[in-house]
Amino acid sequence: MRWYGKENTCEEEEVMVKIRFFARFRELLGTDIMTDVVAGTMFTPLITTIAKKNPEGYAAIFDENGAFHEFVILMKNGKRIEIADAAKTMVVDGDEIAVFPPVAGG
Amino acid sequence: MFSERELERYKRQIMSFGEEGQERLKKSHIFIAGAGGLGSPVSIYLAVAGVGTITIVDMDVVDQTNLNRQILHFDRDIGRKKTASAEEKLQELNPDITINAIDVKIDESNAGKIIGRADGIVDAMDNYPTRYLLNDVAIAKQIPLFHGGIRGFYGQATTIIPGTTPCLKCIFPKAPPSEVFPVVGVTPGIIGMVQATEVLKYLLGIGELLTGRLFIWDGMQAHAEEICVERNRACEACGGMAKKTRARKKK
Ligand SMILES: [Zn+2]
Repeated sequence: MRWYGKENTCEEEEVMVKIRFFARFRELLGTDIMTDVVAGTMFTPLITTIAKKNPEGYAAIFDENGAFHEFVILMKNGKRIEIADAAKTMVVDGDEIAVFPPVAGG
Repeated sequence: MFSERELERYKRQIMSFGEEGQERLKKSHIFIAGAGGLGSPVSIYLAVAGVGTITIVDMDVVDQTNLNRQILHFDRDIGRKKTASAEEKLQELNPDITINAIDVKIDESNAGKIIGRADGIVDAMDNYPTRYLLNDVAIAKQIPLFHGGIRGFYGQATTIIPGTTPCLKCIFPKAPPSEVFPVVGVTPGIIGMVQATEVLKYLLGIGELLTGRLFIWDGMQAHAEEICVERNRACEACGGMAKKTRARKKK
């Protein structure tokens, strides 16, 4: 049960972030997803949670061990996040996160 | 110097960038890697614009499944080498330019040689291993690489000036798995036009190039956007290159 009264102490602080998927990821998961997350959430679990809404979308982004496929490109507010750093990169309020694959066809 | 026929042919674009610009196009040599979905519109428009020498390379024969997008090739060309089909069409579109069509698989052993002294490379490939090879040659020869990629209704493009902008490996360090990708012909049409526009601007020395920016097109949403991309100092392809300032073809 949640308590919405003045003395609310059980709600954790939440931050709002926007997740943008591109190309195939967008087809499977949609885009411009605004979501509230608990302050202190890291990049990888956030994307994992969103991607799990569609198993095919999840499999497109993550391998069977739950790690990002090595070709996936991650950006936070226009800056590249290396896959190796994603698990220890915190999202903060107002972050815009982009997740996309290289498009290969010609 | 131009013949009267050429002056007439290019009249409407000479209004835009002058006879001097047209002369620059005529003296230029562009290498197009691939005569497929992207290579078709890119080569057609560079040919009619009067790019003096176009080398186009492909190793495939025309298949019926190509015809929804590879507009250089017609129904009658099924079973024919793409290079033969491309050479014929491009030469007919513009008899005043030189077309070199090379029927070969681009690999490490031949890439540098067949690209030769081209002024720029158009990436019209359908796979990353070959794209990385083109990227390496562009870096070694210090010539631009005009990147494009498509899938379904979705496409991307960027202009790579080695030493100045991020290279293909800075942006996409790892290749995605290869697949038989869905594609609707309009998408390589749009992305190919972005690439061809970039080639012309580069050769003419006009406008703002699509450098340091990845252009992204979502045809389903009719939405274009760009993502800023940066050089990776540790890039295995271009990490050792000193920064250059020139992003223009030498006059
Ligand atoms: Zn690089």
